[in-house]
Amino acid sequence: MRLLPPHGSRIDRGTSIAFSFEGRRYTGFDGDTVASALAANDVILLGRSFKYHRPRGILTMTGDDANTFVTIDSTPNLLADVVPIREGMNVMGQHYSGSLIGDNGRWIERIAKFLPVGFYYRALFRPRGIWPLWEKLVRRMAGLGRVSLDAKHGYYDKQYLFADTVVIGGGAAGLSAALAAAERGDETVLVERQPVLGGSLNHARFDAERMRGIDTARSLVAQALVHPKIRVMTDATCTGWFADNYLPILQGNRMFKLRATDVVVATGALEQPAVFRNNDLPGIMFGSAAQRLIRLYGVRPGIRAVVATANEDGYGVALDLLDAGVDVAAIVDISARSGMGPLARAASEKGIEIVSGGALREALPTEGGLSVGAVMVADNAGQDRLIECDLLCLSVGWAPSSALPAHAGAPVLYDDSWHGFTVRETPPGMRVAGAVNGVWDLDAALEDGAGGGDIPATPSPNHHWPIFPHPDGKEFVDFDEDLTIADIRNAVADGFEDIELVKRFSTVGMGPSQGRQTASNAVRLTQEANGGLLADARGSTNRPPAFPETLGALAGRNFHPVRVSAMHERHLEAGASMLIAGAWLRPACYGGAANIEAEVNAVRGNVAMMDVSTLGGLEVRGPDAAEFLNRIYTMSYLKQPVGRSRYVLMCNDLGTIVDDGVACRLADDHFYVTATTGNADGVYREMLFRNVQWRLDVDIGNVTAAYSAVSLAGPKSRQVLERVCDDLDLSAEGFPYMGVREGTVAGIPARLLRVGFVGELGWEIHVPSSMGEALWDALMEAGAEDGIRPFGVEAQRILRLEKGHIIIGQDSDALTHPHEVDMGWALGKRKPYFNGARGIEMQMKQPMTRRLAGFVLPEDTAALPEESHLVLRDGVIAGRITSIVRSPTLGRPIGLAFVPPDMGEPDGRLAIKGPRGRLIEATVVALPFYDPDNKRQAL
Amino acid sequence: MKLMPCPLNGPRNISEFACAGEVAELRDPADCDDTSWAEHVIFSNNTAGVVREWWFHTPTSYWFIAERNTVTDEILRTYPAGEVFKARFDYAAAKDEGGK
Amino acid sequence: MTDPAQHTRRSPVYRKLVAAGATFREAADGAVAATVPGAPRPLGLADLSVLPRLGYKGPGALAALATVGVPVPEANNTALAMPGGGLVARLADSEALLLGDPTGTGDPLAAYGALHGAGCYAMPRRDSHAWFTLAGDRAADCLAKLCGVDLRPHRFADGAIAQTSLARMNGILIRDDRGGALAYHILADSASAPYLWDCLIDAMAEYDGGPVGLDDLASFASAE
Repeated sequence: MRLLPPHGSRIDRGTSIAFSFEGRRYTGFDGDTVASALAANDVILLGRSFKYHRPRGILTMTGDDANTFVTIDSTPNLLADVVPIREGMNVMGQHYSGSLIGDNGRWIERIAKFLPVGFYYRALFRPRGIWPLWEKLVRRMAGLGRVSLDAKHGYYDKQYLFADTVVIGGGAAGLSAALAAAERGDETVLVERQPVLGGSLNHARFDAERMRGIDTARSLVAQALVHPKIRVMTDATCTGWFADNYLPILQGNRMFKLRATDVVVATGALEQPAVFRNNDLPGIMFGSAAQRLIRLYGVRPGIRAVVATANEDGYGVALDLLDAGVDVAAIVDISARSGMGPLARAASEKGIEIVSGGALREALPTEGGLSVGAVMVADNAGQDRLIECDLLCLSVGWAPSSALPAHAGAPVLYDDSWHGFTVRETPPGMRVAGAVNGVWDLDAALEDGAGGGDIPATPSPNHHWPIFPHPDGKEFVDFDEDLTIADIRNAVADGFEDIELVKRFSTVGMGPSQGRQTASNAVRLTQEANGGLLADARGSTNRPPAFPETLGALAGRNFHPVRVSAMHERHLEAGASMLIAGAWLRPACYGGAANIEAEVNAVRGNVAMMDVSTLGGLEVRGPDAAEFLNRIYTMSYLKQPVGRSRYVLMCNDLGTIVDDGVACRLADDHFYVTATTGNADGVYREMLFRNVQWRLDVDIGNVTAAYSAVSLAGPKSRQVLERVCDDLDLSAEGFPYMGVREGTVAGIPARLLRVGFVGELGWEIHVPSSMGEALWDALMEAGAEDGIRPFGVEAQRILRLEKGHIIIGQDSDALTHPHEVDMGWALGKRKPYFNGARGIEMQMKQPMTRRLAGFVLPEDTAALPEESHLVLRDGVIAGRITSIVRSPTLGRPIGLAFVPPDMGEPDGRLAIKGPRGRLIEATVVALPFYDPDNKRQAL
Repeated sequence: MKLMPCPLNGPRNISEFACAGEVAELRDPADCDDTSWAEHVIFSNNTAGVVREWWFHTPTSYWFIAERNTVTDEILRTYPAGEVFKARFDYAAAKDEGGK
Repeated sequence: MTDPAQHTRRSPVYRKLVAAGATFREAADGAVAATVPGAPRPLGLADLSVLPRLGYKGPGALAALATVGVPVPEANNTALAMPGGGLVARLADSEALLLGDPTGTGDPLAAYGALHGAGCYAMPRRDSHAWFTLAGDRAADCLAKLCGVDLRPHRFADGAIAQTSLARMNGILIRDDRGGALAYHILADSASAPYLWDCLIDAMAEYDGGPVGLDDLASFASAE
């Protein structure tokens, strides 16, 4: 039932909002949460529990428990007690079969005694192979919500935020802390989970007259909202603490990544349940939850209430219930306190019956079992009394909301005199203030927030042992996982004595509420069962996230840089299909795979061009440039003539080959070195790393993106190039194989390299990347009359394999040294040192275990083996294929394979285990497959 | 996310950096037998305590040295590599050949 | 009005500006977007990639620049205005980057294009890096979506440089305010420039930002 103002500070009664729950239509007000709007309509059953399908309703009204999980418009696991209602939203309860009210899954509770904690470890895995059968049943019965496979992508992003001071929690202590920091001149961010600032000031009772919290909030909030140094973030959740005060703050669809010099944690405290039989029935909620319903949402939480309390807060709850027109049948004070505070006196004066020194026996459900109907208590004489009620408020103790200090490494330990956890010490750059710091008085909390030094100790609000075992059980310690007192005791009895082990075995605190309502009682029961001390006992380790995070929030905008050459659009226009090579997109082939053979043939018989801009480019300059290359690469560069290029092969210290390319000597002290696509940054990094140690007089620059390059290849490439290059002698004598020249192509300044990865007459033409598209256009135009066509990576892979050139990383692995790929010729013999030289030498003291061999297959081989298919000897694995293609030029399949050295001799036979395990016989041949005398590239 | 105080760029998210392990002195393989060279190349001390480590700031391709406590993950000091690698290093036979 | 594709030198993102309906004019040896429909905007992204810039690197680079009268900043990661327009950015003890006039008029770098001396080596920064300018009061907030450096105006002063990660790319940010408005030069891998452009346009939408031309950028200078 809805109450009249001033109750309901958060709702706007002028704006009605209609929504549906379980197919029925309800209305609430703007500002209502799903749970408050339903409670206003007297709907208190929100969902079913995880294991036993027990009916559940409101517990905290702060989104700190899992009882209120609902599915809204196909998004599962939303918290009904904090999600605001929206017009037309469709809300469904979760975790039931059939209907929420008549859940067909309730039978599971009747076999509860056969389902002790850990039962699935013991029962469901024997006999072997039985688990998949059980899994189907368990998966259907368990699990939270249902993921919609049609869920639409949302727009989520992230944004960095910086502050001198961030205050987490906008209650009394947090407001005070933010104002104090801002007054000092700090740029301050104040983060509040709820839609409004004020925390418990908005709903708790600090005085008999009720107005103190409201007046304090009004004043502090007004100051904070207008302070120029304070940025207020409401509906914003800090989900964790990471090193150096790095805090994720979720607000809407954005994750702020906040970095602060100082963090003040003013997250308050979490009310804790009493453990007694049927303590999970709908209608049993924390006193603070009832106060929130009354004060914030103007909802009368029940008709006839019992308040079980161990502190002054409970009396404040009773007074609020009276103000809301609820009949308070009794206050059951389970503490053994002496004396009364002002709220207790006021409650007493109002004539509420107070059962002092009482104990809780059990809650009893209404007929139908869907909500609380009465509570059985014992008075201080031990006499049982049954008190009828539809609302049972629990105010028996609090735990600090200590997730963030715990993430930061602060010890959070049980304090025997406080009867609960306390945050002991925080790391530099963090402090705790207010209730999370165990400060239980409004004036003291304000002072603590402002950083006011010694705060006088206040009496503990915690009952030392709010646990009431019942012979018939069902006293829930953990509502998420339906764990009872017996479950915790059994876990300890099974030998899991430490709280961390109890947690893992029993799953206590592992559910969605992450122990926020369980940690205190779980530690009490564990220590009792294992005979340990409660003093300084620790809870299980608290790790981020402190609150649920959606995957969308974690993913954000999902930045994935893509590199494209200056000619990229031309490839797309020519119908290229692109493949990913490292961070680059490269044309695989043009106009479909059927054209690959034509692309190969164009290179072999005519003229074709390929975008090779993705090759790494490094400038190595300085008096020690040649000496530097001599150390980095395996060949010798000291005497390399200017105007010539030379192969470069890079090894690591083990002697494994890691990269290759060519070094072009442009001047005595200047080399332009290429690196493989995707590895340029790694080669650059390695070069710099070596030279901060060697300190040679050389400068290394990465110019990969500064150059676009085209490989122009084929017997007619010279005549095409001659049409656009008039300042260089392109004849075989004037510009020989492995020559390097600087000139112009189509008026564009260019570096021309006569190299032959594909084994034909050809040039690599390197130009400034801003002119790469113009170069492409000029060459296509110049070659038009000869029928030039572009070729892609797929054709290049065939062409290079025909020439027997390896691709490092494909035809080599993390252990391949140069001799294994027959590259002993590339090792400088008279050099004092190069990276990997000693590693290669040491490996060559051992017998060779494998070598890369070329092989051919019969022309009519239908289904080709693939890369990594195995080479067998006598049925045992002897090697593997590294590359294989159908060669248009040779008219048969060719490939490379690692094989034992004795199997790699020409004319040897290899048994290859091909597709579907079929054995295929290959013949070993000498490399290269094509043009062994290298005449074509030297034309 | 941890902050790394880069000698060139100041404090930055540690995701901008790559760690390349412990700093070892340069050795000339000519001065080592196979075993000691293999140990030099492959082994690291894996000290529990303060170690000198190579770090690389990716956006600037800048190598530097950090002293970090591997137990507490506290970074005590960072400095340019030149504080440790002060002079040109040559390999024995290179001196014999007289460089170029 | 000129067509950027008629010039030999083209920006890696010229197609993005063509698609946005930009009007181009000649600048240096290429074409820049002079104005884009929708401008002026509270937050604008302009492409200056075809404009001149120079890089020098090596142990003698800063000394060589000082010798020819370039005002080399005292500290790394700071930039100074050059006489005649443009900026000189000191990236390290051994590296500097010279940006030409961001309005695309004149060539203040012409005199420094061929420096070489002991330990001073040219770097082709006009090709290795794309050059964007992001201008507007919310520019720092916008960049905070791509970049983890504290760019709050009182922490990252005019002339400050951050060499950092931008949308997971390496990039250089140089604060160079326009009139009263925050403005940053962004220099990043030219091969990823179309990707970065899209990331920035996406991040700007919240602040009513979008592509602008070089002449539109001038409105920030005259706003005060």
